[in-house]
Amino acid sequence: MTTAIEFQHVKKTFNDQTVIPDLNLTIDQGELFVLVGTSGSGKTTSLKMINRLEPLSGGKILVNGTDATAVGVRDLRWQMGYVLQQIALFPTMTVAQNIAVIPEMKGTPKKEINQTIDELLDEVGLAPAEYRDRMPSELSGGEQQRIGILRAIAAQPQIVLMDEPFSALDPLSRQQLQELVLRLHARYHNTIVFVTHDMNEALKLGNRIGIMRHGQLLQVDSPAELAQHPVNDFVRDFFSASRAKNVYDIYVGRVGLVQGYLDAKPDVTAGKIQTFDRQATLRTAFTALADHDYIAVTEDNNVVGYLDRQRIMAYLSQHEEV
Amino acid sequence: MQTLIQTFMERRGDLVTALWQHLGISLAALVLAMIIAIPLAIWAVRRPRWAEGLLQLTSVLQTIPSLALLGLLIPLVGIGTVPAVIALVIYALLPIFQNTYLGISEIDASIEEAADAFGMSRMRKLFKVELPIAMPQIIAGIRTALVLIIGTATLAALIGAGGLGTFIMLGIDRNDTSLLLIGAISSALLAILLSALVRWFQTAKPRHALIVFVGILALLGGGGAYSVYANRVETITIAGKLGSEPEILINMYKQLIEAEDSHVHVTLKPNFGKTTFLFSALKHDQIDIYPEFTGSVLETLVKGENPKNQTANQTYQLAKKRLASQDQMTYLKPMAYNNTYALAVTKKFKQEHHLTNISDLTQVESILKPGMTLEFIDRDDGLKGLKKAYGLDVTAKSMEPALRYEAINKGRINMVDAYATDSELRQYNLALLKDDQHFFPTYQGAPLMKTSFANKHPKVVKALNKLAGKISETDMQEMNYEVNVKNESASTVAHNYLVKHGLLKGGR
Repeated sequence: MTTAIEFQHVKKTFNDQTVIPDLNLTIDQGELFVLVGTSGSGKTTSLKMINRLEPLSGGKILVNGTDATAVGVRDLRWQMGYVLQQIALFPTMTVAQNIAVIPEMKGTPKKEINQTIDELLDEVGLAPAEYRDRMPSELSGGEQQRIGILRAIAAQPQIVLMDEPFSALDPLSRQQLQELVLRLHARYHNTIVFVTHDMNEALKLGNRIGIMRHGQLLQVDSPAELAQHPVNDFVRDFFSASRAKNVYDIYVGRVGLVQGYLDAKPDVTAGKIQTFDRQATLRTAFTALADHDYIAVTEDNNVVGYLDRQRIMAYLSQHEEV
Repeated sequence: MQTLIQTFMERRGDLVTALWQHLGISLAALVLAMIIAIPLAIWAVRRPRWAEGLLQLTSVLQTIPSLALLGLLIPLVGIGTVPAVIALVIYALLPIFQNTYLGISEIDASIEEAADAFGMSRMRKLFKVELPIAMPQIIAGIRTALVLIIGTATLAALIGAGGLGTFIMLGIDRNDTSLLLIGAISSALLAILLSALVRWFQTAKPRHALIVFVGILALLGGGGAYSVYANRVETITIAGKLGSEPEILINMYKQLIEAEDSHVHVTLKPNFGKTTFLFSALKHDQIDIYPEFTGSVLETLVKGENPKNQTANQTYQLAKKRLASQDQMTYLKPMAYNNTYALAVTKKFKQEHHLTNISDLTQVESILKPGMTLEFIDRDDGLKGLKKAYGLDVTAKSMEPALRYEAINKGRINMVDAYATDSELRQYNLALLKDDQHFFPTYQGAPLMKTSFANKHPKVVKALNKLAGKISETDMQEMNYEVNVKNESASTVAHNYLVKHGLLKGGR
């Protein structure tokens, strides 16, 4: 795999205060990389250094192998989508005009832009005829952020930066938009750097997750590695804290992450296996286990792994204090 | 109400001119203020410390009283439209600057960040994002400025820039409520109308707004271009003070000059302002000629001690000499009438008691019931000094200027103070008593111009000298009466007099 973004000894100080001492990180092309951490951990600052909204105090960032500061700042930004926590649609522009912002600057023909707008709106389930000419203030928060995402990807950038894009939304919209991000990522294979403070969101979205604290990357690993082999107590606690308060509300996918799945598909008749999405809770799993032997955990209808009663009991008794 | 409508009908021509001037001055000031304040505010958005200073500065400018500001501008740029526009621009700066600045700087930081993150250039961000978002606030600022300008522009009449203020000044000067109301109401209506127009601009389709805006500019620009074109021909500008009398005089000047020299075009600026404004305008070549009183010259325009009890000719000669030496001005020969303070009684009273001179009054002291303006009673060159000079012993009731004429008409008083050419003298059949002791200073009218101008235009001098020694007090009263009470035009009244006295060939 080729490298999309590389942090090399990146340092950042604000008013003589070092917030990021020495950051080294490689993000591969086509990866959905999630930076997670508490507030003040430097994750958003790290993100904004990629498109030079924040200047570096030391080190450098390579984008597609070239130093980001060697390219014109506008050229750099035109090849990077950006989604903000505050959504920040331009209030005086219609939905269509908002989506067209970057393609227009790049000089894409109007006809082509219009076509793209319709396609994109269709893709996120907003009927173009109805939504094109609406003003942002006439949309719900979830709808606004859909447009925010479309605005970022309208010019088909190779890289999309997302700064806590869903933290201001209600749980339902958040979930729908998380799925939208996964779907768009699967479709366009672009590199996404996603910043969040929500470990559950990170676990759901990330191919790899980087956990930050005090400007330092504590661990960069796949969700399962993070769950099963946390490098220190902070990572473990941070991960644990994302667990639901009530044991019945824990996702089955989480059990698989922490406990690991069975090595192979169990050799039983299909009737003995109940299939659940990884977001299903243990409450439903317990009911199913009464007359099934195994649970198949899926993500976007693809089976991720299999769990049996022992695995679930082991998770409950050993790994995370309930 | 009746009189208001009547005055309106009689004056509508003047009103249209005044409205047009008012609109021209106001819009010119508004556009200039926008051109200065909006870019300045945009520049200041990135420089908060400068912005703070500029806000302070514009606030301070706003607090200068408008009259003082106009006064301060006269020595710098003279009088007329230019200082009026400058003053109005200064007033309009604060609301436009403040609203533009706040409108842009209060835009949510995340929106600014989004625009930056999408690689918008500085200009693109300004025109596509910042200005559209700040627009409602900017427009609100422009509307505030507009209303402010239209109100303040009424003061432009004070420095000869014309506009609706002329009506207000004239109304105050002639104690004519109808005129005053017409000026005030028109200016209020203009403000409301334009404010609505600006609001319409905000909501209108950009194309429509642009068409209307360009249309208005073209109309005003066309007017401006026309006046430049009109001024291309060698023109002589003659101005007059507020009131009917100067207006009649300058119309006579115009007709005499144009009859003498057919190659000269004379523009008139009636109701141009008060004494010092006109004198300053003459000094700064903004006007070429205006009629001035000998008494006013000595009293306010030139330096030096003024000896008492001078004859009319002595007063004129002194004024002429001082104007020539101190200001390089030529003061042509005066007309006959003396528009000074005077005492007037009814014609009947005058005959009954065989009164001719003021000194005759001592014989009728006991039956005198004078009603006079407070100012006249209180002045040393008014009743106070008069009593001493003539050994009179009377006590006057103080009365409003208009009321005293009413009172003598109804017989409640039998003597009033007056200006010698007041049209009311004619209106109420009053007669003047002769100032046989030369107590009152002489106020004879004569054309005033720069000596350089007089030397260059001998024909003009010749034409104007035809009026020397002409026009008596009664002539002037009659003419003032025709203009003020019978509402004839100053130009016609002037023409009739000139023809009647053989100064001009008739039949035009």
